[in-house]
Amino acid sequence: MSGEGDGAMERLYAERLARYTTAMRNGRPDMVPIRPFVAEFTARHAGFTCQEVTHDYDKAFEAARRCAVDFDWDAVVSNMVYVWTGLTQAMGLRYYGVPGIDVPPDVGFQYLEPGDDGAFMRADEYDELIADPTAFLYNVWLPRVSSEVMQPGEASSYRGNLALVKGAMAMMQYFGAFGTQNARLRCESGTVSAIAGIFKAPFDILADKLRGYVGLCMDMCEQPSKVLEACEALMPHLYHVAKTTADPLQQVPIGYWMHRGCVPFVSPDQFASHYWPTVRPIIEELWRHGHQTLFYAEGDWKHHLESFRELPDQSIVYHVDQADVFDVHERLGDKFCLSGGIPNFLLAHRPASEVRDFCKKVIDVVAADGGYIMDASAIMQHDTRGENLAAMTECTREYGVYSGGTSSPPATPIVAEGSLSAHGGSATRPGQCVEWAKKAASLPVLEGDADLVEEVWNNIDSLGNVFIWQWLLSF
Amino acid sequence: MPGDQELFDAVLQADRDRVIAAVRAGVDGGTPVSSLLMDCMVPAMREIGDRFAAGELFIPEMLFAARAMQAGLDIVEPLLGDSDHGSLGRVAVGTVKGDMHDIGKNLVVMMLKGGGYRVTDLGVDCSLETYEAAVAEGSTVLCCSALLTSTMTYMKQVVGRFQKDPAVKVIVGGAPVTRAFAEDIGADGFAEHASEATRVVSACLAGSAPAR
Ligand code: B1M
Repeated sequence: MSGEGDGAMERLYAERLARYTTAMRNGRPDMVPIRPFVAEFTARHAGFTCQEVTHDYDKAFEAARRCAVDFDWDAVVSNMVYVWTGLTQAMGLRYYGVPGIDVPPDVGFQYLEPGDDGAFMRADEYDELIADPTAFLYNVWLPRVSSEVMQPGEASSYRGNLALVKGAMAMMQYFGAFGTQNARLRCESGTVSAIAGIFKAPFDILADKLRGYVGLCMDMCEQPSKVLEACEALMPHLYHVAKTTADPLQQVPIGYWMHRGCVPFVSPDQFASHYWPTVRPIIEELWRHGHQTLFYAEGDWKHHLESFRELPDQSIVYHVDQADVFDVHERLGDKFCLSGGIPNFLLAHRPASEVRDFCKKVIDVVAADGGYIMDASAIMQHDTRGENLAAMTECTREYGVYSGGTSSPPATPIVAEGSLSAHGGSATRPGQCVEWAKKAASLPVLEGDADLVEEVWNNIDSLGNVFIWQWLLSF
Repeated sequence: MPGDQELFDAVLQADRDRVIAAVRAGVDGGTPVSSLLMDCMVPAMREIGDRFAAGELFIPEMLFAARAMQAGLDIVEPLLGDSDHGSLGRVAVGTVKGDMHDIGKNLVVMMLKGGGYRVTDLGVDCSLETYEAAVAEGSTVLCCSALLTSTMTYMKQVVGRFQKDPAVKVIVGGAPVTRAFAEDIGADGFAEHASEATRVVSACLAGSAPAR
């Protein structure tokens, strides 16, 4: 590529980044940014099967880049087909159906939630989780979700040891590859990587990965205070994961996948007593550190929009799934940028003309004053039609141009340390597995630079923490 | 209400132990089992379904009510003659092929059971063969659930498979499914909510087909 070409691509990238970040701060950019969350659609577009993109992340990355080159999109997720078989096989992970192994090759990977009788955490294990979430994940949860890893106390096995080594190496390899992917998106198509970092609500973590939804419903009836204590114990750890995986430049938001914290999955009282009080402080603190959170509000959260209004202006980007995007705009549009709201049903099963009509309406009403990002309601799987995504893109470019829009770089909020960085009462600090104090007690009196020894210990120990919390949150 | 108020209240309050006790007391006291079902449990479940549809009750309460009712049904069902129960019709409910979502489908199962129907829960990932087997076993209404835009199209195949069989009705539902889609694929009915499913099934069995 020539130097001049590089310059043009870099200018395009800068333009798109400014457009995207301006809209996310609820501002009015030069035009409506487009940021489609394309998952298995990328495979379809690039001519791969679901099996290929799940088993071979290079192909998944290539498919995402192909879409970024072929469509005029401002930002994409570097790989929305985020499960890589290398990882799941290394650990013998039980909760994924993998294309070509558990499901047909042309069906997307899928998370399989066990029933309440097979939940990965039992109803009487709350105290253990609360006392030390990180230790609980290693000692109790991991051996249950993995077909290879042994329980503490069981005889170690060759396959069990291998699983941990391979799992950790696979994670390093996979995460490391994202840096190159993002750089290639930037220089090959001038596309912004849409999100950085991950957050999930304590309540959802309990429902999705520990107790199962039905189990958690029972617990909410039989031991609601234990559930609350567990949510509170998880808070500092989930905050830590979000903060340490966030964009250090504070440009793109942290992805927050919202599953079953809304009515009718919970009652309004349960939302008020358990879900929201253990989410809100985290979002506020992330914002104090300059990080926006993308509320990917799966389903319809219409009963809770007033609660979301309690958050500081601009602190979140609110993604609309099955809710009425026009209604959400009326109720939240003055405070936060919105994204999504274009029904997947339209994109998959209706003619392009209907997609255009709907997008135009959204642009006219929801995007009228800025603060809107074009996207489908839910992630787009391989049923999405290419011509419909093209219609969504072209319509946005045609009608989504603002007169007098600005592309101002986002203001950086004040940084202040809050209570969430603290222990939260659990035996192991967020970010660590074995505290330095414990290790130091087993060492002779240190000579020379003792701080250096401690620093190295803490850095390496934190990798053990990253490993287990990433399994829990990202895979 | 002619039936046993205690049983009605116990189901409504999702109190499993009280349901069991009230059913046992009813049976021991000589109340016809069909009356325990149709005059107490069915109206209670209808009330629960209506409150859910109105946004006054939520999924956890529905699950508890279902468990409570199931405990009562476990006692009542073996005692019911075919004419007491079978007359309402046999209904099969399943999530279509490729789709593993079952929270909504389970609510539909429970509302239909609570509506007094004989219900076969086909589970998730149901192929045409699964629905065919249900028909072979006597189901005349098939309820299909789908949560993914990629799997909802399978409903068209189910409808197509039974289109030429006037004795079998296929009705559809699930978050991405709309009335227009149901009409498009020629389904015999569409229900937006679990409680509506009971009404649509009843309309189908009575011979009127709301969505076709
Ligand atoms: C006559 O017959 C009838 C009549 C009425 C009927 C009926 C049948 N069926 C239902 N009804 C009606 O009655 C019920 C009560 O009134 C209603 O039922 P519903 O089923 O509509 O509603 C339920 C009561 C509550 N709704 C739900 O239970 C669905 C909730 C959400 C969060 C959801 C869940 C829970 C799950 N999921 Co899935 N999931 C999402 C959902 C997002 C959301 N919040 O809506 C959705 C549906 N999921 C999605 C996806 C993509 C996926 N999910 C998957 C997996 C899962 C979990 C396992 C984690 C879990 C399912 C657990 C379970 N046991 O069901 C995967 C697919 C698995 C598969 N093959 O099915 C996976 C592919 C993700 C992945 N890559 O792993 C999205 C679909 C996008 C699309 N393009 O369609 C999604 C909208 C989330 C999103 N925003 O991206 C009515 O519709």
